[in-house]
Amino acid sequence: MNAPFRYIQRQTIVHRLHPFTKMIYVLLTLLLILVPLYDIRHLPVLLIWLSLSAMLWVAARIELGRFAALLKILAGTFLFLMLAQGFTYRHGKTVLIKFGDLHFGGSNMGELTLEGVQLGFMLSVRILTAASSLPLLVMTTSNAELMAAMSQLRLPKVVTFMFVSALSFTSLIFEMWNNIVDAQKLRAFDIDRMDPITRLRKAYVPIITPLILLLFRKANDFQIALETKGFGSPGRPTEIETLRMRPVDFLAIAIFLVVFVLCNILRFQF
Amino acid sequence: MKNRDVTVKLQEVTFTYEGGVVALRSLNMSARRGEFIVVLGANGAGKSTLCYLLSGIIPHIYGGQRAGEVQVVGRDPWDDPIHITAQRCGVLLQDPEVQLFMPTVRTEVAFGPANLRVPRAEIERRVAEVLALVRLEGLEDRNPRELSGGQKQRVALAAVLAMRPQVLVLDEPTSQLDPLGRWEVVQALHRLKAAQEITIILTTHETDEVMDLADQVWVLEEGRCILTGTPEEVFTQPERLEAAGVKPPALAHIWIHLARKSGEPADLNGQRLRDLSIARVAERAANLLRQGWISPHPLPDSSRPSSPMRPAVIEVQDLVYRYPGYPPVIALKGINLTVREGEFVGIIGQNGSGKSTLVKCIVGLLRPTAGQVRVLGEDVRRLSVGQLARRVGLVLQNPDYQLFTISSKEEILFGLRNLGIPKEEAEARVQEALRWVGLESEAETFPFRLSFGDRRKLAVAATLAMDPQILILDEPTTAQDHRGRYQLAELARRFREEKGRTVIMITHDMELIARYAERVIVMWDGQILTDGTPEEVFGQTELLHRSFLRAPIAYEIAQQLAPFGIPSRVLTTHDLLTVLGGLS
Repeated sequence: MNAPFRYIQRQTIVHRLHPFTKMIYVLLTLLLILVPLYDIRHLPVLLIWLSLSAMLWVAARIELGRFAALLKILAGTFLFLMLAQGFTYRHGKTVLIKFGDLHFGGSNMGELTLEGVQLGFMLSVRILTAASSLPLLVMTTSNAELMAAMSQLRLPKVVTFMFVSALSFTSLIFEMWNNIVDAQKLRAFDIDRMDPITRLRKAYVPIITPLILLLFRKANDFQIALETKGFGSPGRPTEIETLRMRPVDFLAIAIFLVVFVLCNILRFQF
Repeated sequence: MKNRDVTVKLQEVTFTYEGGVVALRSLNMSARRGEFIVVLGANGAGKSTLCYLLSGIIPHIYGGQRAGEVQVVGRDPWDDPIHITAQRCGVLLQDPEVQLFMPTVRTEVAFGPANLRVPRAEIERRVAEVLALVRLEGLEDRNPRELSGGQKQRVALAAVLAMRPQVLVLDEPTSQLDPLGRWEVVQALHRLKAAQEITIILTTHETDEVMDLADQVWVLEEGRCILTGTPEEVFTQPERLEAAGVKPPALAHIWIHLARKSGEPADLNGQRLRDLSIARVAERAANLLRQGWISPHPLPDSSRPSSPMRPAVIEVQDLVYRYPGYPPVIALKGINLTVREGEFVGIIGQNGSGKSTLVKCIVGLLRPTAGQVRVLGEDVRRLSVGQLARRVGLVLQNPDYQLFTISSKEEILFGLRNLGIPKEEAEARVQEALRWVGLESEAETFPFRLSFGDRRKLAVAATLAMDPQILILDEPTTAQDHRGRYQLAELARRFREEKGRTVIMITHDMELIARYAERVIVMWDGQILTDGTPEEVFGQTELLHRSFLRAPIAYEIAQQLAPFGIPSRVLTTHDLLTVLGGLS
């Protein structure tokens, strides 16, 4: 298991964009999906925004494999949402499959309805739209740029560093997880051959316990390394990376805004 | 000594951790500006505690009780926050991974001074200066995490130096590096010492590396300073060093042995230790042999019984392994290898040469991209890692990845339960395994309360209890002291000799390989460069040089003494001292 969404050092137009520009894109994505978009007729709105995201992924030269990893992570959630909504949506009329009658809270949970599945599908697409934007920011913006941008936003140093440290720690957790799983497999602990229920019941104690103990130790080392580098001294640190908005940033923001407005116009058309 | 030159001063310092462990006892030491101090001692002797006390990590991160006086550049680190002490005393830790936060070498090095609000132009000047010192110019825009181990540690060193400390504390900075990485860091320290601007305090187990760097040597044992002085004064006492769990530098050890054999005073006769070289020691030994002061003694033929054509237990054919990624990395490029029952095989090579990938393919943790691996006649593709664990036991570098139960006994039982061993037999195996590694009295101890060395022994016990036919030790010397590294190798030797099983050991320690392995495999860039007896492999100087490896010092001296009847199978310091007139 690898950390799929860590910073990838490349020289692309997306990498060179100011972090603010990319943050605006993430913010607009969240604004778009947080408003109700339940109807299947709203699908083109989300597809337009998803297409914009796809273009950014391509422009950033991020491999399709990483997007596939994102889909893999979310596939279970999507299936669950469509089934859960399909069986519980109270306004569902078109029955796709009927298992029986199980009336609860105004809906018949024995029936899988088309409207419910569509609602679950729309929720899934909204999640996918959101989930495709944040990795793009993280994968194309270095920690130093993020820190510099957050510093320009006058966020407290501790908040900035907590955010960046969390990103660094994610990779470390993945690496430790893999090492621990390997170490336990070497003791005939065949986690890969366990069924999901057995895995949930007994597999995670031998993995999570050493992980927690190691994380405590690593966190201590991390704290030592940080504080001995002067982190914690009062005042704002010297800006190492000076970030300036360039014409391409304003152009990108203009494109994001145009697409955002277009999406909203479309949304109110239906 | 002018008082203003004294940068570090400890007077009657005793330190007790919160748990009640007394780590330092009545230490009295001082160091001057420009001095290079080497601190030696077994694991648990108090070296790291000393580093933490000087750099303010104690008491600000680790708590405890201190008595006595500590002064670092005129201030007590106890009284200031760490970021203030950090401006006077920089500290470099063992593990480079936890010291790197930033995405580029340049921002990493600038991180410390930026936190101290040093003006940007000055930061840029310092970054250029320290990167030149550690020879990393041109890598400014690289991600530090993608560099080699030695480069990472040099980035971490540069990051500390950029803060312009007057005292630099280095806590075993080479212990997790391969030979090339260690050499790179030691070279950087030589350049730093040449500048003579700051006090350097270095803790280490690698005495051969630092013999010519030290101005003063402090030897700690159970928190006390038992030996202090110039390298010439300290390193000429090999017995005292060994009693404290410290490996005497090979050249000094052999030189003193020769002096004793020739009836001369056991010192360096006024010359500096840093002037000793292999050629010089060999020349002196040759003179003594020529003049009849010493005569070659026979080398007992006990260390490496050969394994005749026994059945193959591991057969590797055209093995290729490619790590998926962006881009993929080919770690093994067509390996062919046969290991026979009862062999003790040593695998050496730089990090990234494919050693660990090879053993992971053997134990089934990695599935070959191409080619075949057969263990005890069965293709590993057909077996799960768990099924293979009955046949092959791999002891990983870090025992903490596997320990999770409440007692040592439970830790060993875990693997046995997974194998479905009946309770009574499992209990018997636990007792046997604990006895085997000498931890019988720790059966009920919480594993994390054991020392690192004992945790490694527990990991070995957990593996041995599963009764594998093949035992693989991956870097048993990492972060281990002189005694600890031999304890694991000794366990492996007994496992092989008493049970007739096969042992494979991956290590960077050439003396260890020379002492225990009957066959040595050298790997480089995913391929096997050479495979033969230790004498055959260490004799290929050019090839070793190309892969940044070096034969043990004693072996090189013995080669120069061949005309005097010194046998070519002298591989270790112990062998050479035996041959040159017996052990003192």
